[in-house]
Amino acid sequence: MKNLLLFILLSGVISAATQCSKADASATTRGAGGSTARFAISGNYLYTVDEANLKVFSIADAANPVLKNTVPVGFEIETIYPFKDKLFIGSTSEVHIFSINNPESPEKLSTAISPEVLRRCDPVVAKDTVAFATLRTNGICGGRQSILAAYDIKNISKPVQKGSYPINEPYGLGYSDTALYVCDRNGLYVFNIEKAYQPALRKTLADGWYLDVIPYNNTLICQVQDGLTLYDISECMNPTLITRIR
Amino acid sequence: MKLPLLIAAGIGLSVCLTGCRPNDNLVDDGAEAWVPVYMHPGEKENISIAGVRITEKSGKIYAWGNYIFQNDQNKGIHIIDNSDRTNPQKIAFLNIPFNSEFAVRDNYIYANNVNDLVVIDIRDVLHPVVVKRVENAFPFVNQKYPQQNGRFVCPDPSLGIVVGWELQDHKSANCRR
Repeated sequence: MKNLLLFILLSGVISAATQCSKADASATTRGAGGSTARFAISGNYLYTVDEANLKVFSIADAANPVLKNTVPVGFEIETIYPFKDKLFIGSTSEVHIFSINNPESPEKLSTAISPEVLRRCDPVVAKDTVAFATLRTNGICGGRQSILAAYDIKNISKPVQKGSYPINEPYGLGYSDTALYVCDRNGLYVFNIEKAYQPALRKTLADGWYLDVIPYNNTLICQVQDGLTLYDISECMNPTLITRIR
Repeated sequence: MKLPLLIAAGIGLSVCLTGCRPNDNLVDDGAEAWVPVYMHPGEKENISIAGVRITEKSGKIYAWGNYIFQNDQNKGIHIIDNSDRTNPQKIAFLNIPFNSEFAVRDNYIYANNVNDLVVIDIRDVLHPVVVKRVENAFPFVNQKYPQQNGRFVCPDPSLGIVVGWELQDHKSANCRR
């Protein structure tokens, strides 16, 4: 039962530019979490997931969180990723998409599934009309082949898998502009996602076991098995090592 | 792991020699079982700032302002000063017993402290202050049985919160999964 994770990532309209623009700098006081988190902040609310439930805490008064709602989500819930007015909640087997139009009453819109994988461990990120998830099937999670999956989420109530890429043992993921960074037991993979449904592997940094990433301004913060590794991503397709922190 | 099994097999064998019965429980089960580890009273409340330390069990990450935070599983949060992004450095460690999850916004860390939600004011990041505790905000994992299948000692909720499971020699384990 251990090591089951679902990682989700959603992406915006993919820029046609070949050069990487600077990453979003708006997050400096709000902060940014990874794709494998169980806590997420959106607006004046802290959302948390335990194995079965989504909890909503108001943090309008920042020092006094107040529990507003508890929403049953399913089983083996592992990750939560906020994106605009949506929450992407990953379990060992599914991605649940909730609307937080009414932030105190999250409403389930849909559940994304992948035809290739029976049982998965999946973190997710999102970018406007595309969601990326790593679906880890090896070992304890069962299934056949672990993949990076790209979903069309133009119709949020009916996500459709439009592309995939086989990966050995993937974990968390994150994106900056046209680059998608995918963590793997054997290293960090850098994909070009200008064509979102055909992610193209451009680089592999095979220097450790990567677990999660946060692209933060021009720094890529990587959780690795023995601490942190930081890269400069001023050129997003070409991360250069800043330092390792152990 | 092998030695207790050998001992168990030895006991089983001697039982066999003195009066052999098929499917003797000792032989089937071995002597090892998962035993719950309970949190000590008062252990939870020790939230405090400490010096820089080596990362033991790399946990989740968060970026906020000029800081990077990394959880050390069940221990607390490493605080890293990233104001010079070419030379980020650990500057302190925030002890939060049995912490695994957290988020940061507007000068506050929201973190689990075992099964409680705590709010920590970090306006002065080297002098953090707990300003709020929401008790029993989350279920702490694996309270009723260990992750792994097998024999285990049934936990007794009156002894406190189960914060871990250890494989020990324990012939009288009374639960199984």
